[in-house]
Amino acid sequence: MVNPVDPVQTSSPPTSSVLKPATQQSPDMSSQQPQPSTGASKPAKPSKQPKSKDALPTAGGAPAEEKLSPAELKKRAKAEKAARRARERAERDATGGAGATQGPNAASAKRGSTGGAGGKEAPGQPQKGQRHRRGSATLASATEQKKKPEDKSVAVFGHLYGQPRRTTVAGAGKEVHPAVLALGLQMSNYVICGSSARCVATLLAFKRVIEAYTTPLGTSLSRHLTTHLSHQITYLSTCRPLSISQGNAIRALKLEISSIDPSVPEADAKATLSDFIDSFIREKITVADQVIATSAAQKIQDGDVIVTFAGSSIVKQTLLTAHKQGKKFRVSIIDSRPLFEGKNMARTLANAGLEVQYSLVNGISHAIKDATKVFLGAHAMTSNGRLYSRVGTALVAMSAKERAGGVEVPVIVCCETVKFTDRVALDSIVVNEIADADELVPNQPLQQVTGLPGPAAAAAPADPKKGGNKAAPNNPPAESTPVPNGSSPLANWKDTPNLQLLNIMYDVTPAEYVDMVVTEMGSLPPSAVPIVHRMSTNL
Amino acid sequence: MPSTSVALTPGLASFLKSLKTNPIDTSIDNLISLLKRRQIHHSRSCATATAYLLLRVISACRTTDAAKLIERVQSVGRRLVAAQPREMVVGNIVRRVLGLIRDEAEDDREADFNLSEAGSESQPQTPRALDDPSESMYGRFEGSDRSSSRPPLSQPAPISMFSLLSHPEPELSLPGTPISASPSGRLLGHAPSKDIRAEVLEGVNEIIDELGQVDDQIAAYALDHIHSNEIILTHTSSTTVQKFLLKAAAKRKFTVIHAESYPNNHEATHATISGNSTGDDEILSTESFQKPLIALGITVILIPDSAVFALMSRVNKVILGTHSVLANGGLIASAGTRVIARAAKVHQTPVVVVSGVYKLSPVYPFDFDSLIEYGDASKVISYEDGDLVDQIDVQNPLYDYVPAELIDLYITNLGGHAPSYLYRIVSDHYRKEDISF
Repeated sequence: MVNPVDPVQTSSPPTSSVLKPATQQSPDMSSQQPQPSTGASKPAKPSKQPKSKDALPTAGGAPAEEKLSPAELKKRAKAEKAARRARERAERDATGGAGATQGPNAASAKRGSTGGAGGKEAPGQPQKGQRHRRGSATLASATEQKKKPEDKSVAVFGHLYGQPRRTTVAGAGKEVHPAVLALGLQMSNYVICGSSARCVATLLAFKRVIEAYTTPLGTSLSRHLTTHLSHQITYLSTCRPLSISQGNAIRALKLEISSIDPSVPEADAKATLSDFIDSFIREKITVADQVIATSAAQKIQDGDVIVTFAGSSIVKQTLLTAHKQGKKFRVSIIDSRPLFEGKNMARTLANAGLEVQYSLVNGISHAIKDATKVFLGAHAMTSNGRLYSRVGTALVAMSAKERAGGVEVPVIVCCETVKFTDRVALDSIVVNEIADADELVPNQPLQQVTGLPGPAAAAAPADPKKGGNKAAPNNPPAESTPVPNGSSPLANWKDTPNLQLLNIMYDVTPAEYVDMVVTEMGSLPPSAVPIVHRMSTNL
Repeated sequence: MPSTSVALTPGLASFLKSLKTNPIDTSIDNLISLLKRRQIHHSRSCATATAYLLLRVISACRTTDAAKLIERVQSVGRRLVAAQPREMVVGNIVRRVLGLIRDEAEDDREADFNLSEAGSESQPQTPRALDDPSESMYGRFEGSDRSSSRPPLSQPAPISMFSLLSHPEPELSLPGTPISASPSGRLLGHAPSKDIRAEVLEGVNEIIDELGQVDDQIAAYALDHIHSNEIILTHTSSTTVQKFLLKAAAKRKFTVIHAESYPNNHEATHATISGNSTGDDEILSTESFQKPLIALGITVILIPDSAVFALMSRVNKVILGTHSVLANGGLIASAGTRVIARAAKVHQTPVVVVSGVYKLSPVYPFDFDSLIEYGDASKVISYEDGDLVDQIDVQNPLYDYVPAELIDLYITNLGGHAPSYLYRIVSDHYRKEDISF
């Protein structure tokens, strides 16, 4: 995505500046490039503007322009600035929001202009500014502009569409540690998926960051490490928005860093932090999981039919624990598109010898019919006692509470306290994460199975032609386009007006559907979540 | 099937084509196998196929007797229903045809009865009958409102028509008719029976016409229910729902959220909403001229089924298609409908079901599980995950039973009804004696 567009970016300034006098091109170019890179360029701009303004009359030698009043000059300058900004944005949009070469460009430009002041900071600083701009304004406009014919974001969720997820390491800051780079990609590809897993992986990566870290001269570890970490965090959050557990862990880590006495030697401080991370993972996640699994497994009895949704690691652990205890029960896993997280869980449980039934969301009401208990994992528990979890969880919990024959199926949530948050949510629209909608477009696995792309590809164009008597007069241009894209009618949904795909990651289950939250601090009703959260954060 | 020259996939189109050329019994077997193999599975296709087959059965049935005709249709109907007991629509059509035959037979019997009465008694007393027409009308109308088409006061006319059209003998045997003919209607000769068959065939053709028009008739109510800026949630690629929404889209702007109904119907759903149908689905091919909603400027948001609860808080109305409607108002609808209806109920969102009257079944469900059909497990877990398939039990239910209390309104081609009113429509359309034929 990035590389093919880059030439456009480099070539576009000359083409767009054709409209302007040739003399102005070079000063304007130089002033234009670093501007986005410096975060505080706004006051600088007006000061630079007159300079190039001066250059124009002298070069053009037009005496009439010098007669302009200062107010008129100002107005002209303003108009020119606006035009330049618009052009700038258009250029940026042409690059598709990928700043692979922009970063270095801007960095070098900056270094050239500032004359290498602040040697160590300089390459980092513009990078950061660059990223901020991309994150806030430029990228947002890029997504708008790229889909200029139509905005593909669903209006209700408008507040959740940020920048699209980063899919390459290109353009990542220099100070981002390789371990974090790798982790970011793994998270954005769902290789590392699930709240706990992401939290642990982040902490482990940060441990390596801290190990590789040396405090620069003239600053203390407790002050500088935090900013160093925040580069890593910013990078991670561009790969995929941080989970609640990640946020909590990072907060705890930062608190620990800031509490380190500046007089402590660096090696000792780093060792302390490593120990802190280890013990955090152990206490909050590893041991907590064991405690939860043991106490939740006690709720399982012989003959139970346990329904669970998608793939929660803690539920999996609970079920395996109960199975090891020799309990005889059946598990019914409900799974959903597009991640199919339940498949792995089904595989693990089946390999362990459990009796597993597997169905998709369309089978909820059938699976729940003979269920005796529902076990759910959590992404987070909100302060108003609601369960924030993989999208579809609410449907399962709701079905369990549907009074079928007067019996309600108990819904038990397994959740570490590190996933508790003080945020509140009434419905799934307030807080959510929007994943790439292209994940919903079904890819065609049939070709891979047969290994014969030739006939399959040949059949694809043949089919519409066979039915061509009916369909062909309808849309001759549209018919030619879907063929190369494969069989899915959604293949080019982005070019289809008025069609939107929405792929949200989470939903919020009302507190009344949850009977019990099993945590490492005991089993609670959902209303106890804010109290426990306060206790655990004050510790 | 041997007659079809084009390599058509077995389905409604190929069946209708072969129906004209094949002998009856072959056609019946053909439809039975299509039903058994689920090569016809849309409820409307099933209904159309059944209606055409019965049309052929009746027209080929050389019997003159209504009772024999009923027997014949019953036996064919029983075989069809046994082939696919969960496809209620087949039974519904058979019941309606049976009802038609019975109505016609009764009409004729009434008419004959009146005729014979008139023939024996009123002929000498015509003036009296004319003096007191209301009494004779009343007597004649008893039990049958269909005979209103016959002019009540032209009593001598039917007799003369009758004698003109029928063989010369009946006039001779007229005195004898009241005794023998009126109870059984058997000795009456060929004329009335032929009339029955012609009228029944006409009635079956009306049913076929109804099947063709039902979606448009339902769509006519769309503007009453969909208003500007509403957010409508729907599910599956039901053409009834699509036509309903399209009708409203012509006048109003609204937003449609479409749950994709993975894994059984998602391809058709994707094709329906994006408008480029690559599917060879029989029902879509007939509707492929139809524009998609997005072409009319309606924003369509496709969501996975799991996101229904998350979005329900913003939805104004849920419009659902169904596979069939049971006598208690419950639905047999594609899997996933129940959670959608339930989520709507939880959010106090009205649920509207659009369905043709032909899907209304007089069956009262006692065992819901028996009505649910299970589908291909490979759609849930593909063969790439073969190791999983061996180890676990994969379920792919095709239908859900949706209890009537989750539904707020039914819109049929007769208008909108409350769930509690459905039993009336059922009793209007099916005769008691046919409910378990």
